[in-house]
Amino acid sequence: MDLFLQFLVNGLVTGSFYALSALGLTLIFGLMRVVNFAHGEMYMLGGILGWFVTARLGLDFFSGLVAVAVIMATFGWLVDRVLIERVRDQGEEPGILLTIGLSIFLANTALLLVGTAPQKIEGPVGNQLVMLGPIVTTELRLFAVATCALLILAAHLVVRKTKLGSAMRATFQDPMAARLAGIKIERVYASTFALGCTLAALAGMLLGSIYSAQVSIGGLISLKAFVVVILGGMGSFAGAILGGLILGVAESMWGGYVSTGLVDIVGFSIVIATLLFKPYGLFSTRSERA
Amino acid sequence: MKLERNTIFAFLLIAAVFPLVVSDQYILHIGILVLFYAVLATSLNLVMGYVGEFSLGHTAFLGIGAYAAAILSLRLGLPMWATVPLAGVIAAGFGVVIGGITLRLQGPFFVIVTLAFAEVLRLVANNWVSLTNGPMGLAGVLQPAVMADASNLFGKQLYFYIALGIAAVALYLSYRFVYSGVGRAAVTVRENRYVAQSVGIFPFAYAMRAFVLGSFLAGMAGGFYAHYISFVGSEVFTFSFMATMIIMVLVGGKGTLIGPLVGALLITLLEEYLREAKELRLSIFGLIVMAIVLFLPRGLMGFLASRRELRTEVQESTQAGLAAVAPAAQGGKA
Amino acid sequence: MRNILSVPLAAVALFGSAAAYSQETIKIGLVQPLTGSVAYNGQADLNGSKLAVEERNKAGGVLGKKVELVVEDGQCKPANSVNATEKLIQKDKVVALSGAFCSSATAAIMPVAERYKMPLITGVSSKADLTEKGNKYFFRAAETDALLSRAFAKILANDLKLKSVAYVGVNDDWGRGGVEEFSNDLSAAGVKTAAKEYFDHGVTDFYTLLTKVRASGADAIFVAAETQDGSILVKQIKELGLKMRVFGVGSWATPDFIKLAGPAAEGIYAAVPYVSTYESPRNVEFVKNYTAAYKEPPGKYGNAGYNALNIMMDAIARAGSTDSEKIREALHKTDYNAPNGNYKFTDKGQAYGFSLVLVQIKDQSPKVVASTSVDAPK
Repeated sequence: MDLFLQFLVNGLVTGSFYALSALGLTLIFGLMRVVNFAHGEMYMLGGILGWFVTARLGLDFFSGLVAVAVIMATFGWLVDRVLIERVRDQGEEPGILLTIGLSIFLANTALLLVGTAPQKIEGPVGNQLVMLGPIVTTELRLFAVATCALLILAAHLVVRKTKLGSAMRATFQDPMAARLAGIKIERVYASTFALGCTLAALAGMLLGSIYSAQVSIGGLISLKAFVVVILGGMGSFAGAILGGLILGVAESMWGGYVSTGLVDIVGFSIVIATLLFKPYGLFSTRSERA
Repeated sequence: MKLERNTIFAFLLIAAVFPLVVSDQYILHIGILVLFYAVLATSLNLVMGYVGEFSLGHTAFLGIGAYAAAILSLRLGLPMWATVPLAGVIAAGFGVVIGGITLRLQGPFFVIVTLAFAEVLRLVANNWVSLTNGPMGLAGVLQPAVMADASNLFGKQLYFYIALGIAAVALYLSYRFVYSGVGRAAVTVRENRYVAQSVGIFPFAYAMRAFVLGSFLAGMAGGFYAHYISFVGSEVFTFSFMATMIIMVLVGGKGTLIGPLVGALLITLLEEYLREAKELRLSIFGLIVMAIVLFLPRGLMGFLASRRELRTEVQESTQAGLAAVAPAAQGGKA
Repeated sequence: MRNILSVPLAAVALFGSAAAYSQETIKIGLVQPLTGSVAYNGQADLNGSKLAVEERNKAGGVLGKKVELVVEDGQCKPANSVNATEKLIQKDKVVALSGAFCSSATAAIMPVAERYKMPLITGVSSKADLTEKGNKYFFRAAETDALLSRAFAKILANDLKLKSVAYVGVNDDWGRGGVEEFSNDLSAAGVKTAAKEYFDHGVTDFYTLLTKVRASGADAIFVAAETQDGSILVKQIKELGLKMRVFGVGSWATPDFIKLAGPAAEGIYAAVPYVSTYESPRNVEFVKNYTAAYKEPPGKYGNAGYNALNIMMDAIARAGSTDSEKIREALHKTDYNAPNGNYKFTDKGQAYGFSLVLVQIKDQSPKVVASTSVDAPK
């Protein structure tokens, strides 16, 4: 039983990390319908920038988080206005290609500038062991889970309670009607993309302090994020959270009881199964096929 | 139709003469790569251009073909002229299964599910050690027997002609497919799924045919790869091959038959040329991809086609204008 | 369209080959992963190689000419490495090759080198069967997993008083090879195999794997991993409070690894062919020069690149010409004094006679605990 509980807790911890990483993509893929392959690179940039502002510029963790958020929001805004805006009405293919090119560019330029070595980010709390009954975890992980929850809540409040959030929801329901109602939809798109990038970057910095910040991590993160978004249903925050947790626990159980070598297969099998049987995600009310 | 056919013939003719003129083995090697990628791009074009869906899992068939040829060659000792077609057939079989599952979906869902399949196959290839040798890969795939005592140059020339043969088969099959009733139905589905259904075309059936043909061609290309590189590992399933294929189809222009050829040629040369830039190579590559998407969205062939359309439009409207003026001058009806 | 382009291309190639005949440098080709997930280690190999070439050129070069290193990115992928090799041989007209780091990439370029009769040396690829393929032009200036485990299994079993070991390896040919060899040799020395787990390269969360290891009741854990994965794994071992002894192979005793793993690196054992604190006069000098050039002490791969290039340049000098057969014969006569011992080659091209060390990380620095030399394999 102990073993099972430990696997479960491990899975929930990594699951909440997956949920946070995928949150930005929920907005971009789920609402804007842009298949953003550069999502993993935004995460990576968050990690690298986080290392840069804490290790090189000497900021503490929280100021560093704020700095990274500001930088990445601006970057996301610019990417949308300059690049994605141009291909928005041409269907989703150009968007896919554009983001693939962007991801190749970002990953390799970062490689040139930062180098290949993984970098350490100093977390705000230590790595001390924390025992929850028979289960082992660390202070830093608990802190990270708490931060994930906070960030998710904050994002949710932005979308539900602010004017920008209402504008977003209106635009994604019906762009033409939103425009007629006086909403500047270019700004909405750019803000949504910026918010998505910022969330990804913050996840990257947070998780960089637990593991390490690496330039080459983008591809894997993108794939896992897509799995979570599809599981949870596009555009649904609650879905992304649950999707992330399910993925984390499923991987942990598979790794624990079957084999740790094939763990990634879990995510992809889940995606295939979901798309076949419940294409709008596990938690949707729509029943029409994709 | 005429233009496409003639261009394809010209291309094959020039390629046939190429090894007789060029004896630098490095250039021949580049030529072989161009032909290899041309087959791959053509096969992907069938799915992207004629089914109209964006498949990110096409490497699955390249990989299946490569592994099939390697396993047939190493375990059963079959020669190259047997393994390559068999690789194509095995890949087509997988195409039926995977297509049957994935073609029910559209848009971004199709994209992700095909990607998921490619990743699953990669993980299986990496872990099913008894069949695929896992991460150790399959080495020493047999070369054609006639090469055993011949010179290196002869070996390269032989491979070039084999690649050319496969490319010719690929182009022939694609051409016949596109200009057949099946092909035209597939294009109708791509343009407007609902209208197609309303005239009695089952989108799924036609999509399947394009998809399976594409997987057959990719499988043959994979078989060729296995013999030429003589080593097959799970990296054939990775995204980098996929990205290269997509870029070739898009640069050349999807939905045309010449487009993939142009794309294969340009991108292969570009990649080799960019070697000089060393570390900047991939960054520049990413920038070029973005530039093409922004400025040349229909690819080169699409760009040329739209120029031609524009010219024809101008001609037609001028003639219509003249025709409208003339009868009106006579006071007659239109 | 094609014949327009092929003419200038052919012209460039002809011009290039003509220029080669009047070259004033001796070109040696290097195929290493400079991008991708092992770029970190490939870069180190490149650094070591460059240092060797610079030192040699300062001392007058080889055969009266300067040595030029022509570098291509193989990305540790067989297809790309083959491409890179073709270009180096055909276009750059190199006289010798060093590469391609990962055993699978090296296995792919070996037939290419053999076809063109190009001497090929690797300082890194450790898969045992590479020297069993009968390729006359291939030389391995490195240990194989089999040699490493045979050298240290007894020492580890006795000194560390191991009773049962859990084996963890990265899921590629090197990781699997390491786990297999060590588990075989340690079992022969009476140590029980408690568990064997593999993880995919790039995995960042090892908690599930480590939970299984803890449940297996082993008193030590063997790890085959490189810096990126290994440092995270080791940190998590400490986080989870596992009290087992940790020993491993891979780039473990390097300063980068120690920096990344932090306090978690204390007490870890590593079986490596090279460590920068190894006390031989040659190594002290090598470390000084490398640190001056690259601002950090060398690790296993820096040393590997350095040795591979030196051995090749020595052979060319000994051969007295750039003829490949003469270089090959000269390579067999190698008796090279490296920072980590002496290198000689067997008939099959496998190096022997150099040292392997067992180090333990204490106070953030690797201390040599035991050393042995690699005997010629039978």
